[in-house]
Amino acid sequence: MSDSKPIDIPVLALGPRGDDMTGRAILRQLEELLAALVERDEPGSIDLRSLPFGPEDRQLLEEALGEGEVEAEVESMGPSRVRETGIPGIWWVTHYGSDQQPLAELLEVTYCPEILITPSDAAKEGLSALRARLFESDHMGR
Amino acid sequence: MRDKTVLELLQARGVSRRGFLKFCATTASLLALPPSAAAAIAETLGKTRRPSVIWLSFQECTGCTESLTRAHLPTIESLIFDAISLDYHHTLQAASGSAAEAAREEAMKAAWGQYVLVVDGSIPLGEQGYYSAIAGVSNLEMLKETAAGAAAIINMGTCAAYGGIPQANPNPTGAVPVSAIIKDKPIVNVPGCPPIPVVMTSVVAHYLTFGAVPELDHLGRPKSFYGDTIHDRCYRRPFYDQGKFATSFDDEGARNGWCLYQLGCKGPTTYNACATVKWNDGTSFPIQSGHGCIGCSEPNFWDKGSFYQPLSAGIWGDRQATLGTAAVAGAAVGAVAAASTRIRQQHASEEK
Ligand code: SF4
Repeated sequence: MSDSKPIDIPVLALGPRGDDMTGRAILRQLEELLAALVERDEPGSIDLRSLPFGPEDRQLLEEALGEGEVEAEVESMGPSRVRETGIPGIWWVTHYGSDQQPLAELLEVTYCPEILITPSDAAKEGLSALRARLFESDHMGR
Repeated sequence: MRDKTVLELLQARGVSRRGFLKFCATTASLLALPPSAAAAIAETLGKTRRPSVIWLSFQECTGCTESLTRAHLPTIESLIFDAISLDYHHTLQAASGSAAEAAREEAMKAAWGQYVLVVDGSIPLGEQGYYSAIAGVSNLEMLKETAAGAAAIINMGTCAAYGGIPQANPNPTGAVPVSAIIKDKPIVNVPGCPPIPVVMTSVVAHYLTFGAVPELDHLGRPKSFYGDTIHDRCYRRPFYDQGKFATSFDDEGARNGWCLYQLGCKGPTTYNACATVKWNDGTSFPIQSGHGCIGCSEPNFWDKGSFYQPLSAGIWGDRQATLGTAAVAGAAVGAVAAASTRIRQQHASEEK
């Protein structure tokens, strides 16, 4: 074995698949979903992990949708990244596990992704918490 | 605990409303459901009681349980699993001997007609079933007894689903799959030697979420994970289509990452999610590591000839002639071969 040399085994496929058909189909579907939001107030979404989605498709979507004004990170059971694209009403939402592995990647067509809205129960709890803090600070004479 | 809903259990673990929304969105994606299903999942989980699961291990190597428990489970999946009540699993439970058997009987009594029975391993019928017994009860008896009160049965691994390695020639113990014995319950097969961890947890999660088994193919496998062949989704597929094949494990083709068909890859006739979901936390799968698929999620995979003979040379599958020509002629025919596997799959499920 003394003359054995390490062998480089490239096991990744060469080059891209060479088409962005899925990306194009998604853009068409986004057009329909956005029309449904605007005309009928119906939100919708597309699960990117459910589709044969290659790097060319991603590139096409990223270029076509662009960057919007809002970018948010939600920390709940691992991070979630919420980005508005350059097409208002279309949001790119990626949920990660606590180990940073992407678990779901969605294009949400909505005015505001639900995960960003404060739930009403949480707001009620917030009100009690704030009152308790005010009470505490009054009590301490501050 | 059993009376709590899944949502209440998650809340008790400190999961916020936003976390719950994320949980539902991710579960929908994991179960290959449309995103709109997330709302239905949220509603169901708000009402569903914690289901009881009894896991029986028969003639098996514990590889399926190893796969499940050694999996690098993301939080969401572990939560799904936390949300079930795993009332009996003799490898994982602390109790042993008669205390363990008492736990099984108690779990059966408490949720008679409602629990999910998970089985790994095949069942030997030889010598009145006493080739394999637990606490003096033969696997055959234990299966019949426990299946009687089950709402559904999930067969984890090729042994429980199709007989697997214990049933391989010459099958000294007379091993059979669960479906050869139990005929009156909904059965889901999750084959693989072992199955992919996330596929196992997702199938349990599906039942937990919808209280029903997912859509199955003609061999009882969930279509969401077993709908395509490895070959349909293989990243080496462009080489197959171009007729570029490795012919030994150390030739130029192998070094260039060409198609492994000539080295015995069973990807074209094997339905499983390895090429997309992959193994070890999405790191790789056999073909990506340079070895052809051995077809472990198909019935009788062990007895179908050499793992290192091309499909065209063996008795594997029913399309060797087509594929053999494809391998020799190379380019373009691959697409047709893949289309024909899809048609076959569709056809077979229509015939069900
Ligand atoms: S024969 Fe095997 S290695 Fe070749 S493309 Fe099909 S699945 Fe991939």
